[in-house]
Amino acid sequence: MTKKIIINPVTRISGFMEIQADIEDNRVVDAKTEGLLFRGFEKMLNGRNPFDAVYFTQRICGICSTAHSMASTLALEDAMGVIPSEQGRYLRDIIHGCEFLQNHIRHFYQYTIPDFVKLPENYPLFKAEHNDFRLTKQKNDRLVKDYFDSLDLSRSAHEMLAVLGGKVPHNHGVFIGGISTQATTDKIIKIKSILHSIYQFINDRMLPDVYTISEYYKDYFTIGRGYGNLLSFGCFNDYNDLGTLYVNPLVYTNGRISVFSPDNITEEIDYAWYKDRQRTDKPFEADPGRMASSEAQRNDQPEADMSKPQAYSWVKAPRYNNLPFETGPLARQWLSGEYRNGISTMDRTIARVLEARKIALILNTLLENLIPGVSVQKEYSIPKTAAGKGLIDTTRGALGHWLKINNQVISFYQIITPSAWNLSTRSCNGMKGTAEQALIGTPVKDINNPVELGRAIRSFDPCISCATHIYTGGKHINTIQVIP
Amino acid sequence: MSNGSITCPEYKARLNTAASLVDTVKTQIRQGVLRKRNLVWLELTGCSGNIISLLDGSNPDFEYLISQMTHFIYNNSLSASEGQSAMEQLFSVLGSDYILAVEGAVATKNNGFYNIIGRLNGKPITALEALKTLGEKAAHVIAIGACATHGGFSAARPNPAECVSVQSVLNRKAIKLPGCPCHPDWFMGTLAHILLYGEPELDNRDRPLLFYSTLIHDRCPRRSYFDKGIFAKKLGDKTCMFKLGCRGPVTPIDCPIRQWNQYVNWPIEDDTPCIGCAQFGFPDAMEPFISYNTTREVKK
Repeated sequence: MTKKIIINPVTRISGFMEIQADIEDNRVVDAKTEGLLFRGFEKMLNGRNPFDAVYFTQRICGICSTAHSMASTLALEDAMGVIPSEQGRYLRDIIHGCEFLQNHIRHFYQYTIPDFVKLPENYPLFKAEHNDFRLTKQKNDRLVKDYFDSLDLSRSAHEMLAVLGGKVPHNHGVFIGGISTQATTDKIIKIKSILHSIYQFINDRMLPDVYTISEYYKDYFTIGRGYGNLLSFGCFNDYNDLGTLYVNPLVYTNGRISVFSPDNITEEIDYAWYKDRQRTDKPFEADPGRMASSEAQRNDQPEADMSKPQAYSWVKAPRYNNLPFETGPLARQWLSGEYRNGISTMDRTIARVLEARKIALILNTLLENLIPGVSVQKEYSIPKTAAGKGLIDTTRGALGHWLKINNQVISFYQIITPSAWNLSTRSCNGMKGTAEQALIGTPVKDINNPVELGRAIRSFDPCISCATHIYTGGKHINTIQVIP
Repeated sequence: MSNGSITCPEYKARLNTAASLVDTVKTQIRQGVLRKRNLVWLELTGCSGNIISLLDGSNPDFEYLISQMTHFIYNNSLSASEGQSAMEQLFSVLGSDYILAVEGAVATKNNGFYNIIGRLNGKPITALEALKTLGEKAAHVIAIGACATHGGFSAARPNPAECVSVQSVLNRKAIKLPGCPCHPDWFMGTLAHILLYGEPELDNRDRPLLFYSTLIHDRCPRRSYFDKGIFAKKLGDKTCMFKLGCRGPVTPIDCPIRQWNQYVNWPIEDDTPCIGCAQFGFPDAMEPFISYNTTREVKK
C-alpha cells in the first residue's frame, strides 16, 4: 500500500520548502520538492538603472547575496564590454570566497549537524522528533561543542568579507571592474589573520567532524544519488597568471566529462506555477538588433498562476541538453578531480567540507598575489542598448544572470540559480528534478519520523529564497539563439 | 580609521549604549532580576538575511541570546525539528508570554498563498495567517529589516506578490528596525531594552531612537568634504559620495559610528554611497543606487 509523507516546513534551509513522498514497503517510490515562496525579482528589475542590479539582486538571498553580486557584475561587464584587471578579479574573488566559507560552515554546523547530532534538549530550538542519533556520547559532545564554536568562525568569514566588501549580508564591494575600494596592507593582513584561524578550524575540527558522521551513518553513502549528472559554470578559474585554481566550466554525464556550453541551457515551466505555456525556453537572447522589435514581446512574461492543475512549485526546471543536472560542491569536487568517492547524501556533505578547505587555500593564494593599494574603479557609462550574461559557480553551484539594456535601463532580466537546478520541478516529459530523483529508493524506517528525507534534501543545501522568485522567460525567447 | 578624528563625546556614548544595556541585562539575568522570555523569530516573505545577520552578532552572540537571554522557540533556518513538529513548536507559544521577531514582508496575493511557511495538521499556513495569529497575541512585535518594516525589496514595484509590511496586517504596534539587513546590535539592543525596561523610546514611525535618531550625513566622517564641496567622481574615491547618489543625508541610522561585521567597515568606508537601506521607502525611493551623472546635474 502506498503511503504519503509530507514534510513542511523543511527547516534548516534558506526559504520555504515542502517534500511530498510516496512510500511503498518503506521505500520512496515517488517524490516532489516544492518551493513555497514567490517574489518576482526579475519583473521588478525591468526599468531600473542597470548599475543597481548589483545591489538589487543581492536581496534575492540573505545567505548567498555575494553570489548574486558576482553574477550581476559579470553580466554587466559582458554587456558593457568591460574587462576587469587581474587585480580586480582577485579582489572580488576573495570577497566571493569569504562567502563560500561563511556558507559552508553554517550549512554544515547549523543546518546539517542537527540531523545527525543530538543537540542539548534544554534549548527549545533543538527539540527533535526523531531518535536516530548514533554517535557515542563522547563524539556527540564534541560535535555539539563544535556546533557552538563554529558560530565564531562563520561570523569571522563575514568579517573578512566586510573588510573589502563594506558590510554583509548584501555587500557593497563587488562591482564592475572588480571591487569598489583598495586592498591596503592593513586589510590584507587582517584577512590573512582571520583566514588562518578559519583554515585551522576547518582542518582540525570540521573535517574530523564530517568523517565522524560519515563513519556512523555509512548508509547515507547509498542514499540520495540522483541522476549523477554534474555541472559547473567554473569558479576561481582561468586567471591570466595563476591559471585555474579550482574548477573550469565542465559537465559530467554518462561517465564522461565534457566542456560546458551555455548554448545547451533551457528552462521549462510545465510543473511550476506560471501560466499556460508548455514549452522550452532558452534563458536569453543577446542580439541587440532584435530588441526594438521585441519590445512588446518582452513584456509578455508568463504570469504567476497557482490554479494550474499539474503545477506544484514556484521553482522552474532548468535543463542542460534537456537533462536535469546536479550542481554545487560535490559537482565541483568531482569535476576538478579533488573528490570522486561517489554521489550520495554523505558524499555531498563531505565534498562541502573538503571544498571549504580548498577555498581557504585558494583565498590564501589570491591574497599572496594582491598588489596593495591598487584602484580598479572607473567612471562607467551605461550603453543605450546592450545585452550580457554572467555565469559563475557560487556556493550552492551554477548561477546565471542574463540581462538586456534598452534606453539605458534594464529591459530584461533572467536568473537561474543553483537551487533551481537542484530542486527543480519535472520536465515537460515528466522527468523528475535532480533532488526529486535523489529521494527515489530512500529507505524510510519510521514513516511517522521520516528523518531520511530531510537529510537527503539538505545535502543539496537548498536555497528556496533564490530558487523561487524566478519570473521571466518571455514567450519570444524560445525561438532565439543563445549567444555563447 | 577615519572615525578616530571625531572626538565628540556623544559619539562614544551612543556607540556604547547598546552594549551597556546588554551588559545590564546579562547582570540582572544572573542576579535573577530578569526572567528569560520566550522569543519566536518568524521568517516571512524575504531573503532570510536578517537571521544570518543576527548570527553575525557578537557580545551578545547567538549562543548567549538562546542560552542566557531568551527561550528561543522557533526559527525556520535553525530549528532542529521539521514538518508538523516544527509547526507545533512554533504555535506552542500561543497562550504564553512571548516576544515575536519578524523578518520579511507579508505576501497577500492569492490570499497569501504566494508564501507558505509550513503545514499544521495538513493545512498550509501562509505567512499572512502565521503573522496574524502570532502577531496579535505577542507581548511585543519587532519588525526586523526593510521588508518587515515597510515591504522593502519584497514590495518593490511592481510588487508581484503584493507584499505589505508587518504593521499593515496587525492591529497593534510593531517596533520597526529598518535596514537591509538589520544590524545585529539594533535587534539585540532593542530586545535588551524590552527585557530590562520594556519598550524603548520610539520616534513617530516606531523606530528606537537609540539607533535611528541621527542622519548618517550628520555623523559622516566625510562630512568635511561635503562642506567644502569636494565630491567623489567614482567608487573608490575617498571624498564625499553625495554626487554618486549617497542617501546618507536622508537616512537616520548609526552606521558611521557603529559599523558592521565586528565593527570592521561600512559602505562609505568601502568607498561606495549609502543606498538608504535603513530608511522607509527603500529600495524604490532610494534609487538609483549608483549614478555617475544624474546627481551631478545640479541647477546653477
